[in-house]
Amino acid sequence: MAHRTGTLDVLPADEIRLDARVVSAGVWLFLTADLFYFAAWWFAFFYLRALNNNQAWIMQGLTRPNRAYGLVVLLLAIATAVIFVGITAGTPRTMLARTLGPAALILGAAACLFQGYAMWHLGFGLTEGGYPSVFSGLTGSWLIQLLFAVGWLTTVAAQAGPAGDTVIRPESAAAFGRILLFLAGVGVINYLLLYLVA
Amino acid sequence: MVTANLMSERRMLIPNNPITGLLLAIPGYFFGVWLGNVFGLFDDQNTGVILGYTVATAAFLVGMGFLNYPLTRLLGWPVTPISESEPDAGLSRYFRLSLDHKVIGLQYLFTILIMLLLGGIGAMMIRSSLLVPDSSITPPGQYIALIGLHSVMMIFITSAVIVGPFGNYLVPLMIGARRMAFPRLEALSFWLVPPAAVILAVAAFWGGFPTGWTGYPPLSEQAGQGMDSYIVGFGLIALALVVSGVNMLATIITLRAPGMTWTRLPIFVWGIFTTSILGMLAAPVLTAAIVMLAMDRSVQTSFFLSSNGGSNYLWENLFWFFGHPEVYIFILPAFGIVMEIVPHFARKPLWGYRTGVVGLFGVALLSWFVWQHHLFVSGIAPVLRPFYTLSTELISIPTGIIFLVVLGTMWRARIWFSVPMLFCMGFLVNFLIGGISGVYLSDVPTDVTLHGSYFSMAHFHYTIMGGEIFGLMAAVYYWLPKMTGRMMSETIGKLHFWWMFVAFNSTFFPLFIIGLLNMPRRVAQYNPALQGLNIWVSVSAFFLFGSMVLFAGNLVYALAFSGRRALANPWHARSLEWQVPTPVPAHNFDRVPVITGGPYDYGMPNARPVADFGGIRGVTSGA
Repeated sequence: MAHRTGTLDVLPADEIRLDARVVSAGVWLFLTADLFYFAAWWFAFFYLRALNNNQAWIMQGLTRPNRAYGLVVLLLAIATAVIFVGITAGTPRTMLARTLGPAALILGAAACLFQGYAMWHLGFGLTEGGYPSVFSGLTGSWLIQLLFAVGWLTTVAAQAGPAGDTVIRPESAAAFGRILLFLAGVGVINYLLLYLVA
Repeated sequence: MVTANLMSERRMLIPNNPITGLLLAIPGYFFGVWLGNVFGLFDDQNTGVILGYTVATAAFLVGMGFLNYPLTRLLGWPVTPISESEPDAGLSRYFRLSLDHKVIGLQYLFTILIMLLLGGIGAMMIRSSLLVPDSSITPPGQYIALIGLHSVMMIFITSAVIVGPFGNYLVPLMIGARRMAFPRLEALSFWLVPPAAVILAVAAFWGGFPTGWTGYPPLSEQAGQGMDSYIVGFGLIALALVVSGVNMLATIITLRAPGMTWTRLPIFVWGIFTTSILGMLAAPVLTAAIVMLAMDRSVQTSFFLSSNGGSNYLWENLFWFFGHPEVYIFILPAFGIVMEIVPHFARKPLWGYRTGVVGLFGVALLSWFVWQHHLFVSGIAPVLRPFYTLSTELISIPTGIIFLVVLGTMWRARIWFSVPMLFCMGFLVNFLIGGISGVYLSDVPTDVTLHGSYFSMAHFHYTIMGGEIFGLMAAVYYWLPKMTGRMMSETIGKLHFWWMFVAFNSTFFPLFIIGLLNMPRRVAQYNPALQGLNIWVSVSAFFLFGSMVLFAGNLVYALAFSGRRALANPWHARSLEWQVPTPVPAHNFDRVPVITGGPYDYGMPNARPVADFGGIRGVTSGA
């Protein structure tokens, strides 16, 4: 069925297919850009750690953040991504999206809250050397992006009704899943660096 | 089925114009300052100022209507597809949020020309100060602040001056698309620029910033609140570069018309493509560095504080990892413009089209491996110097290839010396001088001697102003008839070219000599023996500014008073954008065209028409 858009007859199916391709390409491009953003932070991590200027990368007596707590945040972020990718893969199933979408949303929100709490109670001051600087900046950047992603996830869940955008344009919702997976992947690298390698 | 709905994002409570944006931005600023002062009392108000600017910008964008789409989704209302946006009419569309790439292109053009005027006034103030060898006209503190404001304003402008207006307006037309891939992101990339410019200008009220455009710590950490303008302004521009890059690349990759193969892509689009790659990948690194600097100044981290586990070299590496690709963000689209325009006025096919594309990619690729030549005098490991000397010199090879392509196209051609063509030829002369002087600066021995002198300053002005701004002028004269339906005066245009070309060279060539005579950059006082040369340069600079006033007069006259309407294709060019009517219809093409020939097939006996505009019913792209 065609409908008029300005002076052109466009088949909705074609428009949706085109939109899916555009969104898919856009997400890959955005993730490439975002990779460079986090790569700059990882560079700062290794650079300052290697220089250890004034022996102040990690000052003596500095209490590091709790690894187990960090792991909980990471697992919540991974679960959010995996559940969302699971429900948007293949043919959209409205009921599944309606039930598991909010579940992913709750897990994502929990990850943000736990990470926010951790950053409020770091156990060290930000002035205490290179590691606290990188930890706060890298984790803070990740948290802000996760917050934005969870915000968008909320809109995806809100559009999961029968005529909602999530169901009409499932490829777009699936492409958003890549952003959640990417953030989960970045979270894994951050965890390895900040809690184990540092 | 996708249908328009009465409760669309356009009909939400928040209007989409700058007045509501400003009404929200002002309280937003004070809220941000209050918030920052609550949490950051220990830091001389930097937290407050940074948060103030950030919240004000966010509030401005909300007032512009950028929150309407996410809110529409959040409330579960049907989402209106982009293609169903109602075509706007009237002048008012240029003053509010629009999703039409043609409107956004013109919004960019006029905003950036106004910013160019401000940056130019800053340059005139600098040259006025240098009429005398002491600092009697401008005290040293104000002089360095003036340098900082001029340089950063010009960097903001030159980052977007071609991709913004011409990339946004022309890329869809040139590839046979009816819109950009992400119109909302496209609009966002534009509406981030005015707040960035205003925030930067506000730095003048805080005493400016003493670091120039490079923002080196520890100076940037010690500077007053003017530095916060640098941080937020540059951050916004970096964000605009990323958003614009993603949008351009997605558009070119996915929205090309059927038959618009990669080897038929207009060379200007290739210029935008390579520029967008650089912007998209380099700007995030700057963003990270800016966040680190903001954290050092606000929450007292120590990324760049050597005594506390940081390093100022971290900033230098991150900044120049962005900064050197950035200079190619300036020049690659200008290369694209010159290679695009010359075949049309030489009435010959572009000589070595594929070689030209390889040249663009060669420059883009090598630009990632040269950044440490900016650190030659900062004390980098000597073992690294030969590599960065070599990689910097290597970049002259793809640049030379691009010159070869242009000269090969002009070879034995019956050239139509129109105003755009004159500016292209001026570009070649200026950029040649700029490029050759760059080779000296890539060598460690000469760079160590000349780095802090006016030689370096002359070099980058030859490449940026002599290159990119001449390219911009060529583009304005060439595409303005399509973008506005008005022709600028050819006679005044030719006068403008010769005036600008002579005044430019008269201004900047003596600076090489002044640099060789060891006059340092960024210093208000100089050796009185150099006063004669400096007076010559200053007077020439005033003439150069006069040529820009003539250009502005020509532009205003053409748009507002002349009444001379442009033909749809005044240059008789083959490329796709000239085949659509003027003014360009709301959806560009009634049907997505099928591309059947190349854009530069001039004089070829079997050349086919560039496109079949009957299109294929229902086809929305061919990529």
